[in-house]
Amino acid sequence: MAVVRGKSTEFVAFLTSPLTWVKSMMYLEEENQLLREINLSLTLQVETMLNLDKENQELNEMLEFKSKTNLKILPVRVVNKGIQPNLLSIIIDAGTDDQVEPNQPVLTAKGVIGKTIQTNKTASIVQLITDVNYRISVRILPSGATGILRWVGGGKGQVREVQKNVEINIGDKVRTSGFSDIYPAGLPVGTVAGVFDERGSYQKDVIVTLPTDLNAFQYAFVVIDRNNELE
Amino acid sequence: MNWNRLLLSGIFVWILQLLLADFLAINTVRPDFIVIVVLYWSLRYGRLIGIVFGFLIGLLVDLSGTASFFGLSPLTYSITGYLGGSLMGKYSTMGLLYFSLAWIGVLAFSFLIFSMVQYQHIFGVNTFLFWSKWIATSFYTLCFAGILQFIYPIHKTQ
Repeated sequence: MAVVRGKSTEFVAFLTSPLTWVKSMMYLEEENQLLREINLSLTLQVETMLNLDKENQELNEMLEFKSKTNLKILPVRVVNKGIQPNLLSIIIDAGTDDQVEPNQPVLTAKGVIGKTIQTNKTASIVQLITDVNYRISVRILPSGATGILRWVGGGKGQVREVQKNVEINIGDKVRTSGFSDIYPAGLPVGTVAGVFDERGSYQKDVIVTLPTDLNAFQYAFVVIDRNNELE
Repeated sequence: MNWNRLLLSGIFVWILQLLLADFLAINTVRPDFIVIVVLYWSLRYGRLIGIVFGFLIGLLVDLSGTASFFGLSPLTYSITGYLGGSLMGKYSTMGLLYFSLAWIGVLAFSFLIFSMVQYQHIFGVNTFLFWSKWIATSFYTLCFAGILQFIYPIHKTQ
């Protein structure tokens, strides 16, 4: 069955790729302008970060602490966003030929959007964060509270069963926890939008805003190697 | 029965869905042209053809990049085919109003099954959101089905 699904995915990717190309051309100018603005902003940030990195290295040397992130990331294009009445999966133009395998994280510049679940030579199916079967282990910063996030509609996710005594505020960053075999630690997931404290319960629920607009994105990244995540 | 016409219309609508669904998306909700064609088939050719072709085209949909719940589309389209087939030849006895309400109900029921499976956790967490998801998904497709009534009214299949 996996072979049939793989071959059909490749066929669909082939069939829809010309239309995707036309669509990407339509947004090219707008995207270019946006990228120029981001580029300028990032250049300024890099200057600051270079200074901070140098300072960090010096401090690490003092503490003899060795930490280095070395994820191998593959840029991919979205060739199809599924055929069902609701957006739950996408097809990307990379497969086993590009070292893409099932259960690899897929993200945009804003955050995690899903994981690969079915791969073939030149195309793969990605299960999106909006799928009912999708779960992701997250850590809320700066408190460090962990939990399992799932989508609850309207661009929001929910982290249930967070310890009640942990202080969580609106705007706190939500990152992958690193407890999962799939997701390396520290990938951006979203920001805290609300905290619900149930009376009589030992836990609280956290609502998270997921930053990526699943309607609009056309490019993504696949983390194809996380073996060297921490050296 | 013209088998070629049946097959070609199925493939044409599948390609249409594949290429246009994303262009017509509103906040992740897309129209489902395939359920409309399954309804037309079943009303014209009856339950058996509706179920069989609903199942086959559902399989084709799930093979076109479905991540989870592989088999949900064949189920919903088969049910649409069965219920649509039950309305075959009923236009003259039911009248336009009740006949129209009946096929709208069939489409809405098909989307209800889809939503019940895909958004089962939302039903527990936020019931209002679940019903709004179902209404949005059904309504968007029903709009296209409604527009189609001006071109090829569904009762003409009888």
